[in-house]
Amino acid sequence: MIKRTVPIILAALLGISAPALAFDLEGTLKDAIEKKVQSDGNAETAEKPATPSETEPAFNLKSPSQAEEIQLGRQITGNLLGAAPLVKDAALQKYVNEVGRWVASQSERPDLPWHFGVIESEDINAFAAPGGYVIITKGLYRKLENEAQLAGVLGHEIAHVVRKHHLRLLQKSQLLNLGAKLLGTKLGKGDDTVQKVIGNGAEILARGLDKDAEYEADRMGVILAARGGYEPFGLPEVLQSISETGNTSRVTLLYKTHPHPDDRLLRLGDAIGDRLDKVQGKTLSERFYRLKQ
Amino acid sequence: MHIIRILTFAALLLPGLSLAEMGTALKNDQVRAEPFSDAKVTGSIARNDKVEILSRKGAWLNIKTPKTKGWVRLLSVKRGSATSGTSASDVLGLASGRSGTGKVVATTGVRGLNEEDLKSAKFDESQVKTLEGYTQTAPQGQKFANRGGLKSARLEYLPAPAQSSTSISSSGSPLPGGAK
Repeated sequence: MIKRTVPIILAALLGISAPALAFDLEGTLKDAIEKKVQSDGNAETAEKPATPSETEPAFNLKSPSQAEEIQLGRQITGNLLGAAPLVKDAALQKYVNEVGRWVASQSERPDLPWHFGVIESEDINAFAAPGGYVIITKGLYRKLENEAQLAGVLGHEIAHVVRKHHLRLLQKSQLLNLGAKLLGTKLGKGDDTVQKVIGNGAEILARGLDKDAEYEADRMGVILAARGGYEPFGLPEVLQSISETGNTSRVTLLYKTHPHPDDRLLRLGDAIGDRLDKVQGKTLSERFYRLKQ
Repeated sequence: MHIIRILTFAALLLPGLSLAEMGTALKNDQVRAEPFSDAKVTGSIARNDKVEILSRKGAWLNIKTPKTKGWVRLLSVKRGSATSGTSASDVLGLASGRSGTGKVVATTGVRGLNEEDLKSAKFDESQVKTLEGYTQTAPQGQKFANRGGLKSARLEYLPAPAQSSTSISSSGSPLPGGAK
């Protein structure tokens, strides 16, 4: 039964421009999965290759390959961009990619194809998705005053990717359990399959990591920027600035998903102590790309 | 308002330049005669103390309180006078008509990004492709760093602090490596 159902749905998906329709079909697909899981609970049933991607290895979320990790991050980021598109300013986007790429090169994962973007939102927030996708809002970018601060913010997000914080969150979730069974079945690499794993839209980015992951990303972000030759206090300066902004609607999501900036500053202060007293770095405020509006 | 903030920040970066900005102590800490960890202790600040920020030098802030004057660690003080980071700056923002508060933004219809927006978000392939189009390679990043005179430095990640000074009781104890 299922042998037939899944390939049919898949074929339908492949025949149509997938992204938009994946959502409409999601319910159908979900039913199919649930039936399948109920009926045999065995992931091997539908192993008949259904698409040209049959040579690709099955999607394995328990220990995903780098390519799979990127696939997940791409889907999450594509959803986020569906909610808030990129700022139409090629010079800005190139600039954040240059800074981000340099900071990412200081990390343990310099080989990822890192992507950075600024999105149209006056919220103050930044996001990381598995595989090297980093997005910051225009509202946050507006708060920045020099390149070292941008490097610190991007460093924090890069740390999430390096430590696979969001991937772990996905792996822990119930959705994953369902998804893993499905994904063991070589459904190919359709966007629908990946979407299944990440839940609705980009909700994974609204869930929030545990506080320790955020504090760790702060500590790493400071060091990644400093390794890149930047003044190490860029990130704490931005946290100061966010704290000063006050509790407006622009920080609602940020405050829901992160510890209060004052707590982050305290933790960071404790971690830094006198360790960075001798570190010299540049702020490069003269090179910092300023928004036109 | 914005220009004042930029000037204030610029002033903070320039050692020796004096410009009064208010700050709030995030924790109890020692105040030193000079911006060095082994400089003489001249006083102390307690959590929530209001301080006047005179200047900044590297990891240190030159501050003044009614009781003492000297240098404290940058991260022991936060800018602004509100302890919880709430009302004061909001009031200022509204009074000056600065776009930077929730209310102002809401009336101008500028896009936010809340939980519901994220949950209902739909994949946009062309946007991802645009994003990927800006990708820089590692050598391109290196060139960009060179143009800015950035040199990479060898630094270990910071270990997690054994104990946080978040609670008042723990931050009240004398700091290690104290006065000489």
